[in-house]
Amino acid sequence: MRGARTFRRGGVHPPEEKHHTAGKPVEGAPLPERLVVPLSQHIGAPARPLVKKGDRVLGGQAIGEPVGFVSAPVHAPTSGKVRRVEPAPHPLGTPQPAVEIEVDGEDAWGEPMEPFDDPFGADPEAVRSRIQAAGIVGMGGATFPTHVKLSPPPELSIDTVILNGAECEPYLTADHRLMVEAPGAVIKGLGVILGLFGLERGYIGVEENKPDAIEALEREARASGFAEVVPLKVKYPQGAEKQLIQTITGREVPSGALPMAVGAVVQNVGTAAAIWEAVSRGRPLVERVVTVTGAGVREPRNLLVRVGTPVGHLVALCGGLAGEPGKVILGGPMMGLTQHTLDVPAIKGTSGVLVLPREAVRTAPEGPCIRCGRCVEACPMGLSPTTLRALIHADLVAEADEWGALDCIECGSCSFVCPAFVALVQSIRYAKGRVMALRRGG
Amino acid sequence: MAELGLLFVSSVLVNNFVLSRFLGICPFLGVSKRTETAVGMSLAVLFVMTVSSVVTWFIQRLVLGPLGLEYLQTIAFILVIAALVQLVEMVVQYTSPALHQALGIFLPLITTNCAVLGLAVLNVQKGHSFVQTVVFSVGAALGFGLALVLFSGIRERVAVADVPRPFQGTAIALVTAGLLSLAFMGFAGLVK
Amino acid sequence: MIEAVVVLGGLGLVAALGLSLASLRFRVEVDPRVEAIEAVLPGANCGACGYAGCSAFARALAGGEAPPNACIPGGPEVARAVAEILGVEAADVARRLAVVHCGGTRDAAPDKGIYQGVPDCRAAVLVGGGPKLCPYGCLGLGTCERVCPFHAIRVGPDGIPRVDRQRCTGCGKCVGTCPKELIELLPEDNRVHVRCANPLRGKAVGAVCSRGCIGCRRCEKACPFGAMAMDGALARIDPAPCTSCGVCATVCPTGAIEDLVEVRYRARIDAEACIGCTKCARVCPVDAISGEKKKPHAVDPDRCVGCGRCAGECPKGAIGRGELLVRAPREAAG
Repeated sequence: MRGARTFRRGGVHPPEEKHHTAGKPVEGAPLPERLVVPLSQHIGAPARPLVKKGDRVLGGQAIGEPVGFVSAPVHAPTSGKVRRVEPAPHPLGTPQPAVEIEVDGEDAWGEPMEPFDDPFGADPEAVRSRIQAAGIVGMGGATFPTHVKLSPPPELSIDTVILNGAECEPYLTADHRLMVEAPGAVIKGLGVILGLFGLERGYIGVEENKPDAIEALEREARASGFAEVVPLKVKYPQGAEKQLIQTITGREVPSGALPMAVGAVVQNVGTAAAIWEAVSRGRPLVERVVTVTGAGVREPRNLLVRVGTPVGHLVALCGGLAGEPGKVILGGPMMGLTQHTLDVPAIKGTSGVLVLPREAVRTAPEGPCIRCGRCVEACPMGLSPTTLRALIHADLVAEADEWGALDCIECGSCSFVCPAFVALVQSIRYAKGRVMALRRGG
Repeated sequence: MAELGLLFVSSVLVNNFVLSRFLGICPFLGVSKRTETAVGMSLAVLFVMTVSSVVTWFIQRLVLGPLGLEYLQTIAFILVIAALVQLVEMVVQYTSPALHQALGIFLPLITTNCAVLGLAVLNVQKGHSFVQTVVFSVGAALGFGLALVLFSGIRERVAVADVPRPFQGTAIALVTAGLLSLAFMGFAGLVK
Repeated sequence: MIEAVVVLGGLGLVAALGLSLASLRFRVEVDPRVEAIEAVLPGANCGACGYAGCSAFARALAGGEAPPNACIPGGPEVARAVAEILGVEAADVARRLAVVHCGGTRDAAPDKGIYQGVPDCRAAVLVGGGPKLCPYGCLGLGTCERVCPFHAIRVGPDGIPRVDRQRCTGCGKCVGTCPKELIELLPEDNRVHVRCANPLRGKAVGAVCSRGCIGCRRCEKACPFGAMAMDGALARIDPAPCTSCGVCATVCPTGAIEDLVEVRYRARIDAEACIGCTKCARVCPVDAISGEKKKPHAVDPDRCVGCGRCAGECPKGAIGRGELLVRAPREAAG
């Protein structure tokens, strides 16, 4: 596309694999028999349960309250009875506290929160409170509580708001379909965020492999007058916020700092739409678009899913498994979480369910590093993954810190290009843990 | 003047004391694991080599020669070197206890470093003048330091590499030293 | 000849003078005790004392900052030697050894799937909590083995670590390394341990491991010494009252309790010394002692479990060792 931009350093080009679902409109998923709603679907302290076994709940009712500032509430996605409140399987791999709801099928909802009269001009504190009360977290997958991200310290002034519509992960088309089918909600969500910072103009970055999304958004953007759609070249990880900021504004977030340090705030398009829902209709975040795809399912689809729906139910809605699955990933193939069972719930940050058949999974035990340097070339943050790995395996933690271990965004580009199957991201994640322990004085 | 320049280049690169003459291997392997200790040792050796060669030159020319006591050369030189090393050790311990700790036993071992005695003897054998002695000695010491620092840089990288079991430790160090020595042979034609 | 002596002697004198002056100018205070202490320390630089190495510990000791018995691998001998150099008293430190609270071998506790990644437990735990299906169990990748400075802990072919109690010095390095926090330092005399850390009960444990503690509490009921402290559905042995009698290990249905004692003795009452006070009969947890008041008592060898409680109670010291009671040591793996 003429004028499409991209970030300067590194990046890789995995096969897009989006054709399986890019053209399929989002379908509502019928409710399952039970929902397992984890109390931790976000970065920060898990929510404290507000219900107990036997309680009856309505859709939209708060079933978990936040603990502290960096935390988020959790709501019942539909009506039913609480079967138990105890640890249950979770996408992270180990059991986490969750509220299991026996769905009664009525989908009865309680009173929504009061819609805002003037969402764009409302009192910022009231808007932030509403965002927190609605349990909105980063829906690009990071699940950072949105109200915290939108509350930078007063010393830092924000002059740029960017919506992330890049969806650079292969296979995933959830954000794509949202932008095509509900561009208005996305743009209006941007408007609410701009209102928080008193800004008049914001950007939406979209990779050029989504021309229909770009077109739909541009129409709404023109009508709104405060949004500009920025087409982006297709390169992974274009949707990483530091890369997105650099592409659109030219500013580079310094090492160890957050985007707010360069006056920028980035939000996923899904999060923006959720903000609009919360502010204009008073609904909390209890559902999202999930792409169920991969050659391991018979009929890949984009589904509108209630949080807490077991993944097995979603796979069944897509024609079931096609043969023996090799890998089941929640999220995309670059940064998603591998699962060992389908009996795990979709949560607020679940953008996709990717089932790869046995034949498609190509792994091998780690081989020795051959110093080819591909990982260094690929790293969008300008790090040397092979050096970081060598340092941490030699227990040189302070040196790993000096070599920028904490700047790694865990995008997976290095592991993707490594010809020796070296587990680079895992080694660097391990290094990060050791570096943080060292910094704390451990 | 040009002749002195050639003498200097020869002692630093072409006939590097460590990599061509194979003198001073003990501290070369002993303190080259980290660049900090390598630099510290190089400075200590620079001081000892330069001062000892000047002092021994005087002793040879003014005392041993005229009195016909050339046969006392080895003992006399060692005495001078030992005293200088002792002095250096005192100064290092005073100024940087950390470096003194890091260098450990290798500091007093400079006394027995064949590079230092070798330098003193070579100066006599080649019949260098005073100026020539100074230039040659500084070059030798710098060459020693160069070899040490280069080697320590490589060793720091080898320390985090996946070295096969039979080669770990001293073995890979010696192989690397050999390769570095081969590399320095490339300077062979530099000075006629 | 004379010239040689004069020349060398003169050189020597000059050098000596110069160095004496220099030694005054560059004087550094060094505590001679530091070297003496370093000489008696083990030199393993394991860090159990809390310092960066034996040299650092020696300096701290000379500076009066560290207690003489902080060197755990060195044990009481080193503590005494150090105390002597410093001229202080050294308190005794009871020897503690590492115990691994997991018996989930590869056969007993399956994995979730095929793990391919860094062969280090601390890194593996980052991938969905690690490859083991039981979220609390040992990952068996051998990180503890690699950090042990004494080669005292080894991961066997069955996939779980075993501690060599002769080599283990209780330095504690493995304790901080295990990402599942499975290793604990327990007194040397405690040789019966619960090898499970899964707090769930019954079926939930059985679904992930066939040797886990299911919380049935049989051990708690059987323990003659009240040493079983249940932590919810997880059995825990309180080291203080525990006498390593091993009764709990015999009643555990899943084999979650390991018993490392190889030799025990049944009790035998010396009929001549016995005064028939019946104290022993009353405290026997398995009712193995019979006898009328004021008449000599006897131990039923078939019922006796060798716990030794009776011997402790007898006011006349009339109970001693009888036959060998041999129970094969029950370790976590078959």
